[in-house]
Amino acid sequence: MHAFDIKLTQAPMMALHFKLADPQAIEATLAHKLADNPGFFDGEAVLIDLNALAADAGPVDLPALCALLRRHRMNPVALRSLDPSHLAHAELSGLFVAEQPAKPQPQAQAPAAAPAAEGVREVEAVKAVPTAQPAMVVDRPLRSGQQVYARGRDLVVLAMVNPGAEVMADGHIHVYAPLRGKAIAGAKGDASARIFTTSLEAELVAIAGVYRTSDTPLPPDVQGRPAHVRLEDDRLVMAPM
Amino acid sequence: MTKVVVVTSGKGGVGKTTTSASFASGLARKGHQTAVIDFDVGLRNLDLIMGCERRVVYDFVNVIQGEATLGQALIRDKHCDKLSVLAASQTRDKEALRLDGVERVLRELSEMGFEYIVCDSPAGIETGALMAMHFADEALVVTNPEVSSVRDSDRILGMLSSKTQRALKGDAPIKEHLLITRYNPARVQDGQMLSLDDIQDILRIPLIGVIPESEDVLQASNQGVPAVHMEGSDVAEAYRDVVERFLGEDKPMRFTEAPKGGLLSRIFSRK
Repeated sequence: MHAFDIKLTQAPMMALHFKLADPQAIEATLAHKLADNPGFFDGEAVLIDLNALAADAGPVDLPALCALLRRHRMNPVALRSLDPSHLAHAELSGLFVAEQPAKPQPQAQAPAAAPAAEGVREVEAVKAVPTAQPAMVVDRPLRSGQQVYARGRDLVVLAMVNPGAEVMADGHIHVYAPLRGKAIAGAKGDASARIFTTSLEAELVAIAGVYRTSDTPLPPDVQGRPAHVRLEDDRLVMAPM
Repeated sequence: MTKVVVVTSGKGGVGKTTTSASFASGLARKGHQTAVIDFDVGLRNLDLIMGCERRVVYDFVNVIQGEATLGQALIRDKHCDKLSVLAASQTRDKEALRLDGVERVLRELSEMGFEYIVCDSPAGIETGALMAMHFADEALVVTNPEVSSVRDSDRILGMLSSKTQRALKGDAPIKEHLLITRYNPARVQDGQMLSLDDIQDILRIPLIGVIPESEDVLQASNQGVPAVHMEGSDVAEAYRDVVERFLGEDKPMRFTEAPKGGLLSRIFSRK
């Protein structure tokens, strides 16, 4: 029996995009934002993003900044910056260096976000959990050769998925019509993802990398019937609904 | 407003050219100025089926490349004076087709007064097929009642709704019509061929007609006469029904039931 298993997982975190590095300015902004909502930060993991710093902002005292954030009940864990001089001190401050985002992050504002002020541009919730964003909804039939990928969220399909079509999602997949093509849920490794359909006739189902083709016929209680597929102990379990 | 209608299928040999010839002829018979264009560059067939292969001097590629005018390339059909044929090139290949060239030709045909432009697509999903469907307003998706044809038609439907001008511009989608060809009700009953319901279950687009399997089609192409002109033939009747439904008339589906009666009557009723 192993002491631990290694699995891919994701957790939500906040990102603070700094425009100024001056501690006093930062304290002032924090005071302003937390005035209405003192409990806003409650030990959240925080990513320090320095990409928006003005060119003449001067050197950043990372350890001091981290201490400041911790005093305000934040937990700085990551650093993001294109400036190598910032990255040099990351390890010293116990921060891991996060990748640059591929494209602008989706805007999912944290509930109590005040309008942007000097020190901190906006408190942006970088949501990495698959089900945090609203599901992608597809309402046209998916024909042979077509593919849909719901990145970072669930997928809802309201029309048939024909043989030769592929539906993929990082989260759950719901097909409210015959599912005849391939369905791949939990595409990034989320083993809690499920597949739901009103008529299970899929060529292939997969959850978090564990897959099954219809080469072996599906059990009669789910074949062509409303069913849902989940992963249990690395085995695909199909149950009628 | 000129309507561009593509006759496509994905699968080869299902009856696209036969349909293009008869559908275009049917529209012309009803009094509409119609042009039919062969997009199968290098493997041209439309001119043979239409019976005008000996009159092809200039072709579609010549017009696109500015080597001839439309007036020089269009061939007036012998059977209907409201129908004109634009043959494909036999010596060039599909690289000679260009989207801007195709667009220009379609626009010129529209300016010349054609009400319907029927585009006979080649098989497959490559350049020729994509060009034929790109500017379409409506589509006849020709399908045989068997699994590989249905799968390919499904693929083509996916492309009609995503790779065409209407799809790319976000305009009203192409109006899709399912045309089932080579339908043999007896074999459907025996379970050897897919039924209309089976096909509809997968493709789910409105059915515009069913053309029965018939030796008349081979005879027609041998004679260079579009099947719709063969008086008394089921195929001709079926294609006429298709044209009428396309123009808005409500006609019940024919030729979908196996002939009733005993073995003898079935033998004697075989065409």
